[in-house]
Amino acid sequence: MTSVDLFSIATGSSEPIYRQLVEQVRRFVAGGQARAGDELPSVRELAQALAVNPMTVSKAFSLLEAEGVLERRRGLAMVVATQHRRAQPAAERAQLLRPTLERAAREAAQLELPAAQALSLFKKILRETQDPST
Amino acid sequence: MSAGISSSSAWALHAPLPDPAASVSLSGVRVAFGAQTVLDGLGWALLPGQVVGLLGRNGAGKTTLLESLLGLREVDAGTVQLFGQPAAELDDSARARIGYVPQQSDLFEWMTPAQMLGYFKSFYPRWNDAKVEGLLSKWDIARDKPIGKLSGGQQQRLAIVRALAHEPDLLVLDEPVASLDPAGRRDFLRELVDQVLNRGTTVVFSTHILSDLERVAFNVAFLSAGRIALQAPLDELLETTRRLHGPAAAVQAFAAAHRMTELRSTALDAGRQQMLVRSAGDASVPAAGGGVGVEPVSLEDLFMGLTQ
Repeated sequence: MTSVDLFSIATGSSEPIYRQLVEQVRRFVAGGQARAGDELPSVRELAQALAVNPMTVSKAFSLLEAEGVLERRRGLAMVVATQHRRAQPAAERAQLLRPTLERAAREAAQLELPAAQALSLFKKILRETQDPST
Repeated sequence: MSAGISSSSAWALHAPLPDPAASVSLSGVRVAFGAQTVLDGLGWALLPGQVVGLLGRNGAGKTTLLESLLGLREVDAGTVQLFGQPAAELDDSARARIGYVPQQSDLFEWMTPAQMLGYFKSFYPRWNDAKVEGLLSKWDIARDKPIGKLSGGQQQRLAIVRALAHEPDLLVLDEPVASLDPAGRRDFLRELVDQVLNRGTTVVFSTHILSDLERVAFNVAFLSAGRIALQAPLDELLETTRRLHGPAAAVQAFAAAHRMTELRSTALDAGRQQMLVRSAGDASVPAAGGGVGVEPVSLEDLFMGLTQ
């Protein structure tokens, strides 16, 4: 069972909320935190926990089902689809990061930051995220 | 859907609007205060189960619009229908299906919440005592203190409890969270989500707090110059709207070449231009090119662009 606590959304973003949810589930599955047969929270649980419109959650789930990431089990529960038994290879996981990095690259260009400086900032942030005490 | 369907279906075959199944439908609505026209031939429909956020600048007429759609304000021209009935002549059963949280209610200040809710209960055929009790406790509203002595936030919560108590099919909220702190706003949003989940309530609410609206409003409507300038699912708007910038001629050529509709444009320094554009629903959004930058937009950008 994937906990509702794993999900979070940002408002004020140009990325619609259903998209944010789709990307999160894709990452859980690609990274192996959620595997074949794991049950997702119901539309109701997730809508209440995040205080978002239930239609937004169902839209995300339907899209993930159409992509073969999730399957609908008898009744209402959505589970991670059978083919996702283990984490994807790192190269494939890295592709999921690409859109975010593309956006960061665009913004770095707008700020006229040299590539080396942008990269060193990203390295620093990676370190901070992995070990928040530093 | 409602009793009004049979009576309106005959002409509905010939006139596409108003939709007889709509919870609310307005057409050609005009409201003026003296020389100032606030609503100017406004048309709008809310379908059952829709949650619509109403956006507009201060003074755009949001409150006037919400009051008009509830039949609380006489319109100078046009028609307003609620559940298929003229809003000005609603019968009791239709009236009982509506919940309204006005922007400001300073009535009943001498009563206690318990007395006020008891009074309102007598008007409605349906009244969910368990829900009322649950919300009063959860939201920490004193039952036996005069309403006038409650804080602004507590009064606002009480108004929300009152509007939800009879389990309305249509909920109209005018700036319902203005006096609430972030925790109170989150509680309120959860309650709204419950209403939608459990009853499929049609909801329309105005707010300036865009982050709240973004969470619960599947659809957004922009009120500008006396009309609903645009109503669409928010997801779709974010995905199809872009900000272009670059030399004015290049920006215009880019928009035309990609069949994008101009929503708003602003001249910048040195012959440059910024343009908010929307792609046709099915067209993919083009990448930057030919000296024109293409950037995604947020709800705040849409608000600035669409409410003038």
